[in-house]
Amino acid sequence: MTSAQLEIQLVAVVVAVACALPGVFLVLRRLALVSDAISHAVLLGIVLAFFAVGDLSSPLLLVGAAATGLLTVFLIELLQRTRLVREDAAIGLVFPALFSVGVILIARFADTVHLDTDVVLLGELAFAPFERFVLFGWDWGPEALVEMGFVLALNVLVIALLYKELKLATFDPGLALALGFSPALLHYGLMALVSITAVGAFDAVGSILVVALMVGPPAAAYLLTDRLPVMLGLAALGGAASAVGGFWLAHALDASIAGSIAAVVGIEFGAAVLFAPKRGVVALARRHARQRVEFAEAMLAIHLLQHEGTPEALAESRVDHLDEHLRWERSFARRVVRRAERRGYVVTTDGRLLLTDRGRALARTALAV
Amino acid sequence: MIEELFSDYTLRTVALGAALLGVVSGSLGTYAVLRRQALLGDAISHAALPGIALAFLLTASKAPVVLTLGAALAGWAGTLLVMAVVRTTRVKSDSALAIVLSVFFGVGLVLLTHLQRSADASQAGLDRYLFGQAAALLERDLVTIGLFGGVALGVALACWKEFKLLSFDPDFAATIGLRVRAYDVLLTGLLVLAVVVGLQTVGVVLMSAMVVAPAAAARQWTDRLGVMMALAALFGVVAGVGGAVVSSSAERMPTGPTIVLWLTGLVVVSLLAAPRRGLVWRFAADRRRAGRLRLGAALADLDALAVRHGSLEHGHSVSVLELTAGRGVGRSLAALEERGWAQRTAEDEWAITEAGRDEARRRRGG
Amino acid sequence: MNAPSPALEVLDLTVAYGERPALWDVDLAVPRGTLTAVVGPNGAGKTTLVRAVLGLVRPAAGTIRVFGGPYRERRRLVAYVPQRGSVDWDFPTNVLDVVTMGRYGALGWLRRPGRREREAAVESLRQVGIEDLADRQISELSGGQQQRVFLARALVQDAEIYLMDEPFQGVDALTERAIVALLRELREAGRTVVAVHHDLQTVAEYFDEVALLNVRLVASGRVEEVFTEENLRATYGARGFLERPAVEA
Repeated sequence: MTSAQLEIQLVAVVVAVACALPGVFLVLRRLALVSDAISHAVLLGIVLAFFAVGDLSSPLLLVGAAATGLLTVFLIELLQRTRLVREDAAIGLVFPALFSVGVILIARFADTVHLDTDVVLLGELAFAPFERFVLFGWDWGPEALVEMGFVLALNVLVIALLYKELKLATFDPGLALALGFSPALLHYGLMALVSITAVGAFDAVGSILVVALMVGPPAAAYLLTDRLPVMLGLAALGGAASAVGGFWLAHALDASIAGSIAAVVGIEFGAAVLFAPKRGVVALARRHARQRVEFAEAMLAIHLLQHEGTPEALAESRVDHLDEHLRWERSFARRVVRRAERRGYVVTTDGRLLLTDRGRALARTALAV
Repeated sequence: MIEELFSDYTLRTVALGAALLGVVSGSLGTYAVLRRQALLGDAISHAALPGIALAFLLTASKAPVVLTLGAALAGWAGTLLVMAVVRTTRVKSDSALAIVLSVFFGVGLVLLTHLQRSADASQAGLDRYLFGQAAALLERDLVTIGLFGGVALGVALACWKEFKLLSFDPDFAATIGLRVRAYDVLLTGLLVLAVVVGLQTVGVVLMSAMVVAPAAAARQWTDRLGVMMALAALFGVVAGVGGAVVSSSAERMPTGPTIVLWLTGLVVVSLLAAPRRGLVWRFAADRRRAGRLRLGAALADLDALAVRHGSLEHGHSVSVLELTAGRGVGRSLAALEERGWAQRTAEDEWAITEAGRDEARRRRGG
Repeated sequence: MNAPSPALEVLDLTVAYGERPALWDVDLAVPRGTLTAVVGPNGAGKTTLVRAVLGLVRPAAGTIRVFGGPYRERRRLVAYVPQRGSVDWDFPTNVLDVVTMGRYGALGWLRRPGRREREAAVESLRQVGIEDLADRQISELSGGQQQRVFLARALVQDAEIYLMDEPFQGVDALTERAIVALLRELREAGRTVVAVHHDLQTVAEYFDEVALLNVRLVASGRVEEVFTEENLRATYGARGFLERPAVEA
């Protein structure tokens, strides 16, 4: 591994973790698509800030872009508040408009703005090691690394400081307001973080990958845990893993690093959807199958209990009667009876089912749901 | 300008293409907006990228029909994935959309960059799909747009009442025997078609505006679904042709973003000026209502003062009335005078008239 | 000859959402030509029962028969009045149009509603007393008017059995009386109504039959026989009495 490769991976990991942390709150607040809106709209902020400063590496660009991000959120909420359009449509109206203005400005002043819209959308991590951050005559590393390191530190700091407020405002905005933590202030604070992160990340990985990194790992983590701190940790870990995995995938395929990272994010999320221990599709299907049998077992017990001691008990408790009365497939009925026998709920004598005491208890509990 | 529209071949082609697109995405976007799936268009347009790459990889053809078909299949797969994730897991639709959008796009990027670097295939029109290149529209592109768009529109019209019912009340639709899931997939499929035919004209990022904006604007002007759809189509055409004309007449005005700005303008005008729903309209109505309330309050105040003083003629100074009715009381007093319910007794003093007293009693229900 | 099959017959119905059973082993028979209330505390599975009958949720076990046959074959005989809150009342359409939707099932594919469908819709609007609102945009309706629109949509289906989910929820007193009158008209005409109902005070006045539900069926039958304090206690438990002290008295 060359040092350039190491540096690219470092940048990617820092970007991924920086995106994942605020992303957790976006996912929990159902604002995932705001990341899409912000990451596109900041283009306008960058262009405008560039006109003001005339320098693409100025930290003021971050400020300008963050301001556009907040403007985007503000405009979306303004539109929503008219109640003339709904949230999804509001998002879909605002960011293309801001992005369009940005693209037109770049096109018209292409001689002065050396911004490539391709790069904004797609990013080019491979170039990251070439731009060095030199201060006091010392090479501190790739500029993107320093910049994103700063953004990451900011995200960690803000989330650590405002952890309980953010948590409260996410789960119960009403209570947060009642306790004196302005949910609106926290909301805009979070959106400022998202905007700064999006701007910082965009020239490394492009705005589309920002969306992947902000939403993918947190959503995967959401399927794996119910606890916010664990979710933050898993999201950061998942983001970092996809950064490294994506780098090597790109290396193997000789393809875009940003795209490969997004692809790995997709694989991670897909794996979580399928195999998450409690919420994955596989786990759900297995639990569903088990439940069906347990249900059936209880139904069988109730059925037998209801007919115990009645004249038709003889007929109702015949094994081959079950598929008729309970409308079960014959094979399913056999399975249920076998399981009930094994667990000591029923005993079979002469093709007739008799409830045991345990079976009676099961029926009574089931009836008392 | 109008002349050029007919004489200039490029402009004519671009304007016609953009107009066709406007009709298709505007009318199908109507359902997307009503069903709260406005951002599905965004997800579809991004998800289409790997389809374009794969279609090129498999057929080595750059024919628009082939690439569009690939885009449609990938976009459709993406939306089905979104639906499946939302249905089977606790991940909400916003996250599912964002993930499918970005991951599919990333995969598309991987495929395209891989293509570019391994073979010496020139860019399979990547730029074209990212930002759209309306200026490069050819007649065969128009055929593609017309073909796919026509099919989508035709099906939408044929299933008019089914789609309407599905959008308004899916549960009820299911109880009367409509195969809701199938129609849902079909309608989404039509939206996919509408989106992918626009990709090479407007581009991935801005295509979502083509879906959302015309319908959002049209909704403000009407309360009928049919009219809304027709208006959305019309707005789509206006923006398409307008964008094409402006971008061809001004230098360095990319067509896609120009169309989007037209659309944004239409939306803003609609939100402000549409009768009854529009903000200006609502603001004026609120003002009238507030004015009426203030008028009633000022009348009641004057009446109460007259009762307390036992005299109608006794004038009361504006500053006293301002204490209860607020600073704007002057305008209410003028309005009262106009109706003959109050009169000025001195420079800054007012009293209720007999007619005013009767009116005040009537309003109290006495 | 056998006695005619009940309008609605539910056998051993069990429905589960995830881990929790919503309905457990429910047996219910609704005689033809009666007004039946489905009563029970929140989360008792009342709406689930209606949705299961309509095939909107899939049961884990059990059978449902409508006039002796499966729902899929008896669809034309069934009309559904959903809860008001289940749709977007800002949808761009008017009252007449929503009511006409009740005929879509009979119209089939590609056919547009025509004059006959519209006339039927106007007639059922008249039945619920809001024919003057035919052209009204649905976003401008009050809660009671919305409920009447849904009732009119069900009426236009000309069904044999009407399944209603909380038809009295959040309506004004005038509308409530109008709905009661309508239910009685339906009964006169030999139709069957099954309604999820919340207000215990009015059960005896409005309905003939009652089904007391709390995940399991506690009791069902004629109101005067089944709607007893004992059964209510079994249905609502202690919690129910806290919420509704009037019943205890």
